Amino acid sequence: MRRSEAAGLLRDALAPDALVITSLGTAGRAWRESDPPHLSYAASDPMGISPSLALGLALAQPERIVLLIAGDGEWAMNLGVLLTIAGAAPANLRLVVWRNGRYETGGGAPLPGGDGVDFAALAAGAGIGWTGEARTLDEAARLVPQLLAAQGPALLVLHVEPEASPYRPEGPYAQVEQRTLFMERLLGHG
Amino acid sequence: MDAAAQRTAALLREADITIAATLPDQWLGGVIGALDAEPAIRLVRVTREDDGVGICAGAYLGGQGAVLVCQSAGLLLSANALAGYALHHQTPFLVLAALRGGHDDGYYYQTYKHRVITPVLDALGLPHHTLRTPDDLSIIPDAARQGWLSRRPVVLLAHRDALRDAPEAGR
Repeated sequence: MRRSEAAGLLRDALAPDALVITSLGTAGRAWRESDPPHLSYAASDPMGISPSLALGLALAQPERIVLLIAGDGEWAMNLGVLLTIAGAAPANLRLVVWRNGRYETGGGAPLPGGDGVDFAALAAGAGIGWTGEARTLDEAARLVPQLLAAQGPALLVLHVEPEASPYRPEGPYAQVEQRTLFMERLLGHG
Repeated sequence: MDAAAQRTAALLREADITIAATLPDQWLGGVIGALDAEPAIRLVRVTREDDGVGICAGAYLGGQGAVLVCQSAGLLLSANALAGYALHHQTPFLVLAALRGGHDDGYYYQTYKHRVITPVLDALGLPHHTLRTPDDLSIIPDAARQGWLSRRPVVLLAHRDALRDAPEAGR
């Protein structure tokens, strides 16, 4: 499946009041380009921090679903966070791995471990209670609702096609301004 | 549970801290135990200090105050997360770190930590305060406010005696 298709599935299935965190680079761009209505926030450097950021947000906002969309390169930077998430076990946290075995934004260099790395098994082994893996759009259409209905934390691996993901010119808001705008919309203050 | 640890937890609660991300250290066991026993604070055990930075930043995004409790070496490890995320996004939280490797430490392998930690924090631009006795713990609410006002993490570097009621006879 293409990234745009995966993003569209998630956008259409996600409750309107859910909060979305995306990782640096391709995942965040693809999510934004799907024009989601959800309150969303793109993590930035360093790679590997978005899962713990989503965990902190989920703990602080336990009444709302928090969805993290992060590429496999982001996850590979910090697999230990799976243990942290499993230990904290926030019921409202949902995790998506966009899996294509390469650092998309950085030019497509392969991930360590190659295509054989099983992120769903890693998550299950860490203690994440619900895991799934979709290699086709049909499988994803079946599993995305299950991910969102599962008792969290839950993790779904979505295999996406390698696609060019060139850097784009920066938008009008720096990260601290994006952070302020996110908090203004969520909390009413920055 | 000793009084210094309980007081630390009480002061963090007074500072509106509701989430604590922790990593173990020999000196911090009492504090972490007190935080675990404090019903108003959600304790999260993390595998790496970077995760603690992320959790504290995410908590702030969601309107909650947070503290990272770790050894000073953890701040060295997470320098990129502190600079690239917390400082770049102007995200306040507290860090309570055991200041290992000084006069009150008894291990060769700890010594480098004391030597490099404050220059690294200064290079990052992170405000830091040194706690020498349990009385110094009273800075916690003010330090949290300093962080909130300046929109950056504030680090409390705790000597061994700041984290316990009475020094032991031997080390």
